[in-house]
Amino acid sequence: MQYTTDARIIRIMCTGRVDPTMISDAFLKGADGVMVVGCHFGDCHYITGNYQGKIKVGIAARALDYVGLNPKRVFFGQCSSAEGERFVKMVTDFDKDIREIGPLGTGDRLPPPQLHEKIEVAHTALAKEKIRWVVGKFTEFTTKGNKYGERFTEHEMWRTLDTIVMDEVATYEIMRELNRGPVSVKTLSSRLKLPSAHVLKYVLALQRRGFAELAGIEGTSPLYRIARQQVDAA
Amino acid sequence: MSDQIRIGVFVCDCGSNIAGYVDVKALAEYAKTLPNVVYVKENLYTCSESGINEIKAAIREQSLNRVVVASCTPRTHEPLFRGTCEEAGLNPYLFEMVNIRDQCSWVHMQERESGTNKAKDLIRMGVAKAALLEPQESIKSEMDPNALVMGGGISGMTAALALANRGYQVYLVEKQAQLGGLLLQLDTLGPSGVDAAAFAASQAELVRNHPRIRLMTSTQVKDISGYIGHFKVTTASDGKEEQFGVGVVIVATGAQILKPHGLFGYDGERVITQLELEARFKRGTFSAGNVVMIQCAGARIEERKYCSRICCMVALKNAIQIKETHPGTGVRVLYRDIQAYGTENEEMYRRARELGVIFINYDVNVPPKVHGEKVTVTHQLLGRELDLPADLVVLSTPLIAGEDNEAISKLLRVSLDENKFFLEGHVKLKPLDFATDGVYLCGNAHYPATVREAISQALGAASRASIPLAKGVMTVEPIVSTLVDEDACRGCGLCVALCPYGALEIVRTEKGRKVRVIPVACKGCGVCAATCYQHALSINSYTDRQIAEQISACLESSG
Repeated sequence: MQYTTDARIIRIMCTGRVDPTMISDAFLKGADGVMVVGCHFGDCHYITGNYQGKIKVGIAARALDYVGLNPKRVFFGQCSSAEGERFVKMVTDFDKDIREIGPLGTGDRLPPPQLHEKIEVAHTALAKEKIRWVVGKFTEFTTKGNKYGERFTEHEMWRTLDTIVMDEVATYEIMRELNRGPVSVKTLSSRLKLPSAHVLKYVLALQRRGFAELAGIEGTSPLYRIARQQVDAA
Repeated sequence: MSDQIRIGVFVCDCGSNIAGYVDVKALAEYAKTLPNVVYVKENLYTCSESGINEIKAAIREQSLNRVVVASCTPRTHEPLFRGTCEEAGLNPYLFEMVNIRDQCSWVHMQERESGTNKAKDLIRMGVAKAALLEPQESIKSEMDPNALVMGGGISGMTAALALANRGYQVYLVEKQAQLGGLLLQLDTLGPSGVDAAAFAASQAELVRNHPRIRLMTSTQVKDISGYIGHFKVTTASDGKEEQFGVGVVIVATGAQILKPHGLFGYDGERVITQLELEARFKRGTFSAGNVVMIQCAGARIEERKYCSRICCMVALKNAIQIKETHPGTGVRVLYRDIQAYGTENEEMYRRARELGVIFINYDVNVPPKVHGEKVTVTHQLLGRELDLPADLVVLSTPLIAGEDNEAISKLLRVSLDENKFFLEGHVKLKPLDFATDGVYLCGNAHYPATVREAISQALGAASRASIPLAKGVMTVEPIVSTLVDEDACRGCGLCVALCPYGALEIVRTEKGRKVRVIPVACKGCGVCAATCYQHALSINSYTDRQIAEQISACLESSG
């Protein structure tokens, strides 16, 4: 039983311990691929921890895919402690996939520096309340249902999370741009490659929540910057 | 202990097991260059007495406050090395193990150089984590010296008696009015021929008269909260609720009988179940000229895939009984496979054939048909249909999971299998325990069992349950969840809902609603820490920072 020497193992008690930010963190630090391997469903040493692990890995993979990472770089696998051969096959296959894609920033939708910047934004979004709240409610909403007894399919939950990822990534990316100095919606729109109407919506939402403020007017365009109290608080 | 971090790294050759495939000298040299490492030693066998003594001596002489051993696997050797640290006066949780045998020498036998580089990376990762380790104290909690046994069938009664005879107070809760469970409906028990009702009655008598058993019949368990050592049980009987505390719980709630409505023309008169046949034996009303028994009636089919295991033996026992009491009656058993394991049961099969019982194999795709006074079956060897005379058809139906199983599994946070029977913690290592500490199972609640097996399991479960009771104090590994940032916690309860063990609760504090970890109930899976959007929870020895450091150390090149 032999496998590639290119994998490094980090021990955790259960895949349920995997925080989505650990996966984005690994890519920020230069990993070419991340595997999360745990028990089979129904055979979890921690009863249901692996279901949570799968959701956590799933949201990290989706957010990173959205910002330009090749989704094949994130893998969630299952094998028991008695299935050495299966583990070897998993690592070998994953290694082959990653070799085909190439090092980080080659087989992805963005080249290395831009990809890194975007992953930073995804990393922030994955650490924040909005995504994590819905991820935390995933099981409850798909099994028991919400407060009103409405039950959602996994597909519906992922679709909802996909739109939240879009909103959150845009929001934190705009925040970062505003942090760098006053900027117009038009400029933001071209930097973020998002329609100005969408950018305006996010900027106004940030203004409403007290994160952004008007900094002046350039020609006919208002300029926005990060709100002073946010700077002071930081 | 000084504030300065002083890490000692011990690299094990494991004879040639590691040294034969990995350059351990280079590893030791490399380890010396790592931050905070003040002492490095290569051992022939770190786990040998001399290796252990070297660790102890280095802890004292080099004032080590962290120990890293790079060797085989934590699965077998972590407890040993932790113990070594403890004996030398170092907190055992300041120890970190690096796996360079299972993860390097064994799986990279042909790649000495890149395998050695990987081992260097793993040591660097271990050292990086070790620097952040914090001492932990094992968690102790006193046991409530009582037990709850759910179910008053033969399993429950046996388990209750075993625990009560050991001196523990037992609450035996049975939802029916009478003790005995399924035994009450049986005639005799194979292969010994013991009278089932009499046996049940004698056990029930012992239970009723036992000073340490509090018998609660016609009672339902409404709620169970808490954890090993401190379960809080609420029961209801006739609308009256009662609460008491127990340290352990045994689930002996049995199974139910499948009523084969719609199968093989079941009518309860001429087409009956084995159980109804036994009732006729019991009343002495059995009479028939030709009996056909159909095995696997409602079992091992698409909607119920499992084998109920005991029905073959029941059929054999009843077939023998018919032949012995009514030698003129013809008995034919239509079967798919005969499950008569163990010497006595195999003997029953032989005896049945000796007495003239005829066994005919049928194919699940061409099941027997019951019509009028005969049963038609396609004989597998003759390859044609046979018409068998039958004035009585007896169906061998499976036991099915108890109707309350899902509710009980939620109350106790224990798992069910795909057929809704209770699922043990581990098929070989914990066959009578649940994955949740302090909860045990036996008898038909787990899977259809013979009375003999149910009794063995009940004695086993009682024995398992008496281990924590006898210790009186629970010691739990301190690798558990901790609220590291109380101010950040908003008391939202997101983590509470996801905890597989009920080890988190929301409490009111001076600072408002906050989560509280119940360390004895926590197993350290980490779901809560990975979920919290305020990053207020962490897992001891697997903190966010420790894992982040490992990731950093992993991805910086060893050069």
